Amino acid sequence: MAKKQNTNERAARAAAALAAQQKAEKRRNIITAVVVGLVVVLIAGGVFVYLLGKGNQGDIAAAGAGEGEYGVTIGDADAPHEVVVYEDFLCPYCGQLEAASRDDFTEAANAGQVQIEYRPFNLLSGISDYSERATSAFAVVLTEEGATVAKKFHDILYENQPSESAEEFPDNQQLLDWAVEAGADEATVSDGILDQTMTDWVEEATTAATDAGVSGTPTVLLDGEQVSGTADQIVQTVLDTVQE
Amino acid sequence: MSLVHRAPDSAHHAEGPAPRSDGSVSWPGPGVGPWVGLAARLVVGGVWVVASLLKLPDPQQSVRAVRAYEVLPEAVVPTLGALLPGIELVVGLLLLLGLATRPAAVVSAVLLVVFVAAISQAWARGLTIDCGCFGGGGQVADPGSSYFWEIVRDVGLLLASAWLVARPRTRMSLHPVLFSAPRGHRG
Repeated sequence: MAKKQNTNERAARAAAALAAQQKAEKRRNIITAVVVGLVVVLIAGGVFVYLLGKGNQGDIAAAGAGEGEYGVTIGDADAPHEVVVYEDFLCPYCGQLEAASRDDFTEAANAGQVQIEYRPFNLLSGISDYSERATSAFAVVLTEEGATVAKKFHDILYENQPSESAEEFPDNQQLLDWAVEAGADEATVSDGILDQTMTDWVEEATTAATDAGVSGTPTVLLDGEQVSGTADQIVQTVLDTVQE
Repeated sequence: MSLVHRAPDSAHHAEGPAPRSDGSVSWPGPGVGPWVGLAARLVVGGVWVVASLLKLPDPQQSVRAVRAYEVLPEAVVPTLGALLPGIELVVGLLLLLGLATRPAAVVSAVLLVVFVAAISQAWARGLTIDCGCFGGGGQVADPGSSYFWEIVRDVGLLLASAWLVARPRTRMSLHPVLFSAPRGHRG
């Protein structure tokens, strides 16, 4: 009788010890799982933040205004400030920025306060071939007629910017008409614009922009630092700095 | 005393696969399946880790690769371009180590389905792009037959991932080292 009781007690004690051990192991498993999960999140998050930081804002390694190979520059190279505007002829927000900034930027450039380079490239190739055609036409005008006419053509393109969701986009004949309106000699630029002879230039400009870290348009750099905000805020930030 | 303890042990022998003397069930179970799983883990995990590491030096390239597929709006392209290499890295590491094998294999399979769909649509639309699978990406002059072989490769990796989703217990996994199996259960 006493012996049996003894055995029962031992069995109960063993069972309790086993239960305690199981509980401890379960706890340890949960802690291990949490640690593994944290390490996973840390690695994935760390890579994400690293790549985003390396690839995005504040780290755009673009050539300074007047030094790009694929843009049109206004203002004096000796101006105390410089602005680079990466843009796409189809991007609606670029159109807004152009409308909000043109007069003030031109005035500041003419006053010797700032040198500004506009670098159009083909960001929105997924929407239509308009960006490519317009940028190619811009390159033809820039190469054949020089910066003044190219800037004027650039302005006209934005004043007549089609909607991103347009059913039909301006054709090459229309681009040629605008180039002539900007002051280009029709005979000189006609073949280039109608046959889109500068698409290689467009591709190189696009690669140069994305290589520099530009991943959206418009991207505005003021003395090398990216300026963000609404079109009006960007204009205000630039003017506040250059008119100091 | 010793008899009392032997009884449940022998019961396990009757019902379960290869229990250890302490009563816990051995990982990963018998047969050739766990070895196939090990091979699948090493191949798929290795590919993910390599694919990720090759992208780290040039984030712009990764972003351009995503953009070149011309599927996603520009607003999310840079984010996804930065997000993918990190996900690929942890999925690859987990598979190589054999930790959280089933969840990692599920993510692996989902990514591969997305990649196959993306490459297929690029092919069907006549885009001429580098898949950007191992760095690179963007426009290329002539993708030639590369789309076909990329899809073949990804489908192969997808099958290996699916195997691991179905049978996540494999040889030489770190899981049983870090996690103790509940006693008396196949856990």
